[in-house]
Amino acid sequence: MSIASSELTAKATAIATSGLRKSYGEIEVLKGIDFGAREGEVVSILGASGSGKSTFLRCLNLLELPSAGSLDIFGERVNLRHSDSGARIGDRKQVDRLRTQVAMVFQNFCLWSHMTILENLMEAPVHVQRRKRAEVREEALSVLEQVGLTHRVDAFPAQLSGGQQQRAAIARALVMKPRVLLFDEPTSALDPELVGEVLKVMRDLATEGRTMLIVTHEMAFARDVSNRILFLEEGQISAQGDPLELFAGGASEGFDRFVRRFNESASR
Amino acid sequence: MDWEFLTDVFLQLLGGVPLTLQLSLTALLAGFILAVVIACAASSRFRLFQWIGGIHTEIFRGTPLLVQIFLIYYGLGQIPGVRHSELWPYLREPYWCAILALALNTSAYTAEIIRGAIQAVPAGEVEAGRACGMSGFLLRRRVTWPIAIRHGLPVYSSEVILMLKATSLASIITLTEVTGIAYKLISSTYRVMEIFAVTGALYLTLTFAISLAFALIERRLQRHLGHRRN
Amino acid sequence: MTLGIYELIGFGPHGWGLPLINAAGITIAAAASGFLLGSVLGVAGAVLKLSRRALLRAVGMFYTTVFRGIPEILIIYLFYFGGSVAFTKMMNLGGLPGFFSLPAFFIGVLAVGIVSGAYQTEAYRAGFLRLDRGQIEAGLSCGMSDLLLLRRIIAPQALRFALPALGNIWQSVLKETALLSVIGLTELLRQSITAAGSTREPLLFYGVAAVMFFVIGRVTGSLLSRTEKRLAKPWSR
Repeated sequence: MSIASSELTAKATAIATSGLRKSYGEIEVLKGIDFGAREGEVVSILGASGSGKSTFLRCLNLLELPSAGSLDIFGERVNLRHSDSGARIGDRKQVDRLRTQVAMVFQNFCLWSHMTILENLMEAPVHVQRRKRAEVREEALSVLEQVGLTHRVDAFPAQLSGGQQQRAAIARALVMKPRVLLFDEPTSALDPELVGEVLKVMRDLATEGRTMLIVTHEMAFARDVSNRILFLEEGQISAQGDPLELFAGGASEGFDRFVRRFNESASR
Repeated sequence: MDWEFLTDVFLQLLGGVPLTLQLSLTALLAGFILAVVIACAASSRFRLFQWIGGIHTEIFRGTPLLVQIFLIYYGLGQIPGVRHSELWPYLREPYWCAILALALNTSAYTAEIIRGAIQAVPAGEVEAGRACGMSGFLLRRRVTWPIAIRHGLPVYSSEVILMLKATSLASIITLTEVTGIAYKLISSTYRVMEIFAVTGALYLTLTFAISLAFALIERRLQRHLGHRRN
Repeated sequence: MTLGIYELIGFGPHGWGLPLINAAGITIAAAASGFLLGSVLGVAGAVLKLSRRALLRAVGMFYTTVFRGIPEILIIYLFYFGGSVAFTKMMNLGGLPGFFSLPAFFIGVLAVGIVSGAYQTEAYRAGFLRLDRGQIEAGLSCGMSDLLLLRRIIAPQALRFALPALGNIWQSVLKETALLSVIGLTELLRQSITAAGSTREPLLFYGVAAVMFFVIGRVTGSLLSRTEKRLAKPWSR
C-alpha cells in the first residue's frame, strides 16, 4: 500500500500542468487540464479510449507538445514556444535534462532491439547522464535482480517474452534514478498470463514510495495501489480523488458509468 | 540555350531509338522464354537439370554483361566449329551477338524473378484450388500463375528498365543505337553537357514510359483488392 | 598457337598472369572507392528524400531518378569527356595549351560513385523506414539529444536493415567497373582486351576475366553475408 494521502500534503509538487490543451489539426484532444502530482504519489489515470489519457501523459515528458497551457517539472517551467505553425520546444537542453529525471515505460516496451538487455539499461546512464561505466553496470545488475531478470542479462529483446521485456523496460527506467516514473498502458500489450509479473514489479515500486503516474486499464490495480485516481472524459478531468471513495460508487456519475461499462465487457 | 543544336542532336538520337527498342524487346522476349526453361530446370527433380539451371544463373548474374558481350562477339569466332556452322552468318554480326548476350543475361535474372514469384504464392491458396478438384495445368493456369504474376510484375518492371539501359553497351561493339550515336556526337563536337542532357532525357522518357505501362497493368491486376480508402 | 594456355596465363616471361592480377587489384580498388563515395552520397540522398521540406525531397528524387534511369556508360562518358573538356579549358586559361584528360581512375570512381549513391540512397531510406518509431521515443524520453539518438539508435539499426540491399549494390558496382575499360583504365577487362589482342586468344582471356570477376564477387559476397548474419543476431529468436 502506498503512502497515506495525508502524509503527502507536505511534499513538494513533482509535476504540475495548468490549462494544458492539445489539438491535432481541428480535433482538440485535451481541453484544458489543471493537474498536480506530489512527490511520492501514485496516480492512476483512467478513461475510455479517446479520452486523451495517453496524450496527457505524453505531454508530461514532451513526446507530445501541448498546443496551449503550461507545464512545470520539479518547480521548473518548461520553455515552450507557441506559434501559428504549432508548439515547439524552446530549450532542447532543458527538456533533455528534465527527461533524465522523468522516466517513461511504454506500452510496447520499446527496448532497443540491437542491444542486449544489459546494454539497454546502461545506454542512457552512460551516454546521457555521463555516469561511470562500472557504477552503472553494478546498478543495472542490481535493478535486474530486483525485477527478476538476472538470468537474461545478455539476451536480446527479441528473445524475451512480453512480460520479460516490460520488466526490462521498467528496469531501464529505474537505472536512470528518475524522480518520476510515467507508465503508458504498461500491460495493455501483454498476454493475460504475463500481466501479473509486471503489476507485481509496479506494486513493489509503489510501496517504495516512488512518484508514479500510470495510465492503465487494470481497475483492481488502480484501486488497490494508487493514492489518487484521475478520470478523464473527452479531454477533461471528469473525476478525481481517493480510489476507494470513487470505486465505492456515487461520487461521480461519469466514473460510475465507466466502471459499469468496463465490468460488463470484462465479464462477457 | 542553343535550341538548334539541341534539336539537331535529338533528331539524330531518335534515329537510334528503333535499334535500342529492337535490341531490348528481342532480348527480353527470348530471355523470358529461356528463363521459363531455366526456372523449370532449377526446380526439377533431376539433379542434372537443377545443376544446369543453377550454373546458368550463377554465370550470367556473377559476371559483367560487357565481358559476356565480348566473349560472344570476339570469343565465339575463335572456335572453328562455330565459324563453320550454319549459325556463323548470324554470330559474326554485332547485332545478333548483342541480342544473344542480352538475352542470356536477362534470362538468368528473370529466372530468379520467376522462381521468387512462384514461391511467393501462398500455399493455402494452391491447396484451396486442389481441394476444389483442380490439378496440373488447370490449377497452374487459374491459381498459381495469376498470383505469381502479380508478385513478379513489379520486380520484372525493374528488369525491363535495366535491359533498356543495358542496350547502351551494344554501342561498344559498333552498333549505332542511341548511346552509339551520342558517343559519335560527343567525340566529334565535344559539347558534352548538352548532348548528355538530351540523351539522358531521351532515356528517362523511355524509362518513364515503361514504368507507366507497368503501373497501369499492375493497377488493372489489383482491382480485386478493392479501392483504397484514404 | 605456339604457347600453351598455362604459359599464357601464367607468371612466366610470356605470361599475362601478373598483369591480370594487378588489373584485378585496380578493379577492386575502383569498386571499393566508388562504393565508398556512393555511401556518402547515399546517406545524403536518403536525408534529402526523408526531409520534411518538399524542395529537399524533390532534389533527392531528381538525383535517384536521373542516375538510376540513365545508362551507366553514358554517365561515364559524361564525366570522362566533360571532365576533360572542363579541365582543358581551365589549363588553357591558365596559359597551358593543348588537351588535358583527367586520370581514368579518378573519373571512374566519380562516375561509379555517383550512380551507386543513387541506389544506396534507396537502400538507406528503406532501412530507416523499417525502424520502430517507439525506440526513437524511448531514446528521447531518456533525455537523448538528436545527435546521440542518431549515433546510438538510428544509424546502427538502419544500417543493419540496409545491409542486404547494400550487398546487392556492391555486386553491381563490382561488375560496373568493367565499363571503365572504355575510358582506358587498366582494370581487369581492359587488361584482358590487351592480352586477347596481343595473343589473338579472346576466348581464353575473356573467359579468364569472367572467372576472375566471378571469384572476386563470390569471395566478397560471402564475407558480406557472414557479416550480415552476425549483425542480424539480435533479431534471431
